[in-house]
Amino acid sequence: MGLASWLLAGIRLPLIVGAAALILYAVCYANLYDLRVLTLCGVYALFVLGFQFVFGHAGAVSLAQATFFGIGGYITGILATRFGFLFPVTFPLSIAGPALLAVIIGVPVLKLEEHYFSLATLGIGLVVLLLANQWSDVTGGANGLSGIPPIEIAGFAVADRRSVLWFVWATVAIGCLLAHQITRGLLGHAYHLMREDPAAASSVGLNIAELRFGAFVLSAAYGGAAGALMAHVIHVVSPENLDLSLMVTCLTMTVIGGRTQIAGAILGAGMIVYLREWFRVLENYYMIAYGTVALATLIAAPYGLVGALERLRSLLFGTTAVVRPPLIAQPLLLCARPAPSRDAEALLRVDDIALAFGGVKALDGVSLSCRPGEVVGLIGPNGSGKTTLLNVISGLYSCERGKVVFLGHDITAEPAYAIARLGITRTFQHIHLAEDLSVLDNIAVARAGVDGANLLEALVTLGRDRRLDTARGLAMAAAERLGIAHVLMEPCGRLPYGTRRRVEVARALVAAPKVLLLDEPAAGLNEQEQRDLAERIRGFAADGVTVLVVEHNLVFLAALAERLICLDRGKVIASGLPDAVRREPAVIEAYLGLDPDVPELALAESP
Amino acid sequence: MTFVQLAVNGVALGAAYALVALGFVFIVNATSAVNFAHGDLVMAGGYVAVGLGSLATLPMILMLPLVAAIMFVVGIAVALVAYFPLIDRPPATVFISTLLCGIVLQNLFLVLFGPQARAAPPLIKSGTVHLGAIEISVQALGTLAVAAALIGLQYLMFARTQIGRRLRATAQDRQMAQAIGIRASAVIACTFGAGTALAGVAGALLANQFFVYPTGGIPLSVYAYMAVVVGGWGSIAGAVLGAMLISIFQVVVSAYVSYAVATGLLYFVLLLVFFFRPQGIFGELVQRRV
Repeated sequence: MGLASWLLAGIRLPLIVGAAALILYAVCYANLYDLRVLTLCGVYALFVLGFQFVFGHAGAVSLAQATFFGIGGYITGILATRFGFLFPVTFPLSIAGPALLAVIIGVPVLKLEEHYFSLATLGIGLVVLLLANQWSDVTGGANGLSGIPPIEIAGFAVADRRSVLWFVWATVAIGCLLAHQITRGLLGHAYHLMREDPAAASSVGLNIAELRFGAFVLSAAYGGAAGALMAHVIHVVSPENLDLSLMVTCLTMTVIGGRTQIAGAILGAGMIVYLREWFRVLENYYMIAYGTVALATLIAAPYGLVGALERLRSLLFGTTAVVRPPLIAQPLLLCARPAPSRDAEALLRVDDIALAFGGVKALDGVSLSCRPGEVVGLIGPNGSGKTTLLNVISGLYSCERGKVVFLGHDITAEPAYAIARLGITRTFQHIHLAEDLSVLDNIAVARAGVDGANLLEALVTLGRDRRLDTARGLAMAAAERLGIAHVLMEPCGRLPYGTRRRVEVARALVAAPKVLLLDEPAAGLNEQEQRDLAERIRGFAADGVTVLVVEHNLVFLAALAERLICLDRGKVIASGLPDAVRREPAVIEAYLGLDPDVPELALAESP
Repeated sequence: MTFVQLAVNGVALGAAYALVALGFVFIVNATSAVNFAHGDLVMAGGYVAVGLGSLATLPMILMLPLVAAIMFVVGIAVALVAYFPLIDRPPATVFISTLLCGIVLQNLFLVLFGPQARAAPPLIKSGTVHLGAIEISVQALGTLAVAAALIGLQYLMFARTQIGRRLRATAQDRQMAQAIGIRASAVIACTFGAGTALAGVAGALLANQFFVYPTGGIPLSVYAYMAVVVGGWGSIAGAVLGAMLISIFQVVVSAYVSYAVATGLLYFVLLLVFFFRPQGIFGELVQRRV
């Protein structure tokens, strides 16, 4: 890709031009006041950049970001004014302190869901605020600490406003670079799927707790850095730095700029800082005007300023031409070893599983087993427990009794992501895809769990993310096996239903599972598509993948399954060869509610 | 003060908090959105009461319906500005739009009424009654009675009336409710109105003993949020109980330590609760449906 097309892609050009204009302004025209305002923009940009990890990428509304900011500031303030430490000591400690707090509180707090998490982070913030107010010997109480010296490194003091501006923005640039490293590749996609669809993410082997934890600690570190810089810029730290209103500012900046885009952090911070400065002339009415304009922006640009710019661009110039898939497919080896012999020991065994929702016994002592390379159909009327059984096997539900044994190991208590990594992947009855991601990346993201994409590696890999390249290569191979190679670069949200189902199957396949659990894969497909899909699934089985298919469609299953198991009200009522199961009186009764003595109407019609 | 006396005071304050939390949980249920302007709307109710009190020298109990009616309209206005334009965005967006609404309201109060605390006229009259050794203000008794009446009324409405059924249906599944002919937007707007009217009444009740001031709503938003979380997300009875627990804790503990420390302890206890019961005190641990 040439420089010109790189520049013209997305909204790069206006952003670069805007940044250049701003730098020119700062160098040539800005007076002392302007320099100060631009510096504040930088500090807030860093603050918001950090918050994007936990709020934007991990999708968790943390209300502790201001707390991390304040703690960073207080560490700098206390160390500098009471002990005379210089920036090279105080700055790293101001980053490490909040990060450490995030590590300590992260484990219990991140277990909480949604509002419980938000409130817990808010609570921590208010406890810290109280501490800052009460522990006045150290923190200076309500007045805070003043007289924080300017930044000084190796004898050079960064004292005048222009140098402070450059120093702060250099730090922001480093922060942007690190954020880019972390989110540009496979890990970024992992975060995307995780926040859009946690169930799908776990089922492809993403450890959500670990991802969220990483994002939380990163946001704390960035918050601490921003807080420390703020302390040097305004020479004061006070409980205001920990305040709920600062948290509100941070949230507003993030939502108005853009939740996940680096440019969004800078635009959001800049817009809010400047709005406040401009409205100061309104005196008493200034916060009213500020709130109103921020609210109007939120309504007018619900995807943030960056999102609005992107939409404006595609409105004016059309969407960027469809990019060709960057690579050739890599061979996808489904089973490392040749398919084991048919009478080998069961690969997957389910023993006496029971699970009730309230008073409803969804599963009531279900046992079954699958041999390697076998295609087993799981049938049963609505509500008979088929999907619940898949959810138990794949670890999304935990059962009350019984166990699941895979490759000789008891995996009953294992979390979903671990089960996926061991080699059991699945599709869902209702589609679980990230709508904004392309088909290619929706499939490729399933490699993140298996290959163990992690923060440290993403940070230190320079240039392209090679894990993403490999994952995309494998994703192309998986897409070809499902016959969806022609839509690779389309966002999933725009695809027809049947194609999306295949994307899900390809995503489950790309992790090279030993067992593939398919939940009604033929729903919504026409007969020809069904035959085609059955053919492809048989292909996986021929390569040694064991397939357990939940389906209502007996025609589809007849062409596919070697064995059928029928569930009714949480119990196995029949199991064996397809023809035999279909004629079983109990099965006929369960499906049609007929007296088993009149089987002629039964499912005999199906071929 | 004896513990019993403190507990009685806590319950009286808790009755007002319960109304605040009740309005909050209404809106949560109808929209699954957190209305962080709720505390400021409580203050707005208080200011309306202050304003009405300066116009006419009637006891507040006669003016409460008017406060509720005005706040009902205000609630619909908030829904039109902060909720409906963002209805299809993630819930966190509404969280922020209501926070911004709250900022606008707080500063509006500041401009209109100044920074000082204001008091509204009492519900019936000022003064106290004695029940044995326990002393309780008439205002607190009145607050209890009004809160009990409103909580009972909303229970009857939800359980017995067609409007209540429509509200519940819309809360569970907006699209499905629309599909069976419920005008979901109208229902949601009314819920915002009703929730805000409850907030307003709570504000009018609180504004006598506890005063109103521009930033007074912020902790109330947090307490309402907390009450709903502690009581199990979306549970009406849980929210009422949660609000009671919070206020009793505060009144009793701040009698022994300072108010600030009591608040800190409250959050600390909350964190401990989360540590042992991640689903809240009354919440039931349900496996997430996939």
